[in-house]
Amino acid sequence: MQDEESLVQRAQQRDQGAFAQLYEGYFDRIYRYVVLRIGNEMEAEDVTQQVFLNALRSISSFRWKGVPFSAWLFRIAHNQVVDYLRKKTRQATESFDESLAINKSDPWLEVEQRLDIEQLILATKRLTKAQQEVIALRFVSELSTAQVAKVMGKSEGAVKALQHSAIVALRKALSVGYDIEKV
Amino acid sequence: MKKSREFNDILDECLERLVKSGTLEECLASYPELAVELEPLLQTAMAAKEASVIQPRPEFRAKARNQFHSALQAMESRESHPFFSWQRRWVTAVTVVLVLLLAGGGTVVVASNSMPDGNLYPIKLATEQVWLALTPSSLGKAEVYTNLADRRVAEIVYMAGENNPEQVEEAIQRLDNHLIMLARLVSAQRKGVDTLLAPSEQAGAGNDVHIQTNGRGRLRIMIARYAINHPAALQAALEKSPESVKPALRRAIAVSVAGYDKALMALD
Repeated sequence: MQDEESLVQRAQQRDQGAFAQLYEGYFDRIYRYVVLRIGNEMEAEDVTQQVFLNALRSISSFRWKGVPFSAWLFRIAHNQVVDYLRKKTRQATESFDESLAINKSDPWLEVEQRLDIEQLILATKRLTKAQQEVIALRFVSELSTAQVAKVMGKSEGAVKALQHSAIVALRKALSVGYDIEKV
Repeated sequence: MKKSREFNDILDECLERLVKSGTLEECLASYPELAVELEPLLQTAMAAKEASVIQPRPEFRAKARNQFHSALQAMESRESHPFFSWQRRWVTAVTVVLVLLLAGGGTVVVASNSMPDGNLYPIKLATEQVWLALTPSSLGKAEVYTNLADRRVAEIVYMAGENNPEQVEEAIQRLDNHLIMLARLVSAQRKGVDTLLAPSEQAGAGNDVHIQTNGRGRLRIMIARYAINHPAALQAALEKSPESVKPALRRAIAVSVAGYDKALMALD
């Protein structure tokens, strides 16, 4: 991708080529972020499209004042996901037996089981919203800690602490998931 | 407190290195005293990263790109003529009326049969906008959109036969838009409030299907018929089309099935 700042400036002046480059550059990462947050690939498609349409409508209001474009775009994605989840709150959540004990011997690590996206989605549902957000932004969309801090409106120190707790929680959730599959 | 902050910094540094193609072993070697604590956390983060490398479906990627570019062009067009945008529908109407007066109705009739690669196709699209603009009721517009969907399917089949995937994609996009509008109009219209029946609305429909009485019921029959005929026609085209247009035709089938399902559900 060309220098992002100049691309964004051109996009703000309605340069279609610049818009298209930004779109292609971020499409996959936004889609993955939405899939993990929503947990449904088909519905993530609609949300992803809406993210880019919203970005298109509001790009003229974007300003380079300490906020990178990526953080601004992921903020739109975050808002879109929150909006989607709010509408879905009354629907049934995944049937995941909360009473199952976490396996102390950590079998997931022992067998080095290959993780797939469904397992990851299921496991992240056991995390807090903030932990889900940091996992999705940091490891799925590969934003830096500084960028994640901008998206989440937190300090970098707070993001690092949250990241630590999120990975610990994810590891526990994956161990539980492993036990369920074995049964 | 200080210790945990230091650990968080080291964990973050290792994660950053892993994201940038570093290895787990390198990181653990840098902090051997923390290796036991770091290793399981880094393994989990890397597993999450690897699991999430999923690709959007090619059909979705194409559809999303198409819609984004359409929105981009629509915005460009709106902003380049902001003062006149509200007048556009009337300008279109006047243009078509002038064409009718100057060239006779024959031009518009001929245009109504033109295909996306024909010179008269823009007139066909303009005439359709007039048709919609002159149809005041919601159910009347729903009928028009149903007829337009029929035209788009015919165009998709024709352009697929011409091995023109670009025009097929454009026609699919239009079909999708028509079916979305159809479902919206139908669901917005409460049962029993049927405003379709004004005879003046029937004008201009050419050889397309007319609804003369009991608008909602007749519209349902029409949609139900197209819900079967259109996917079938597209499927038949798929079986004899060149490989280059098959993905687009599969998407066209999906769009028509989903679009008519929504419209029929809205009618129930």
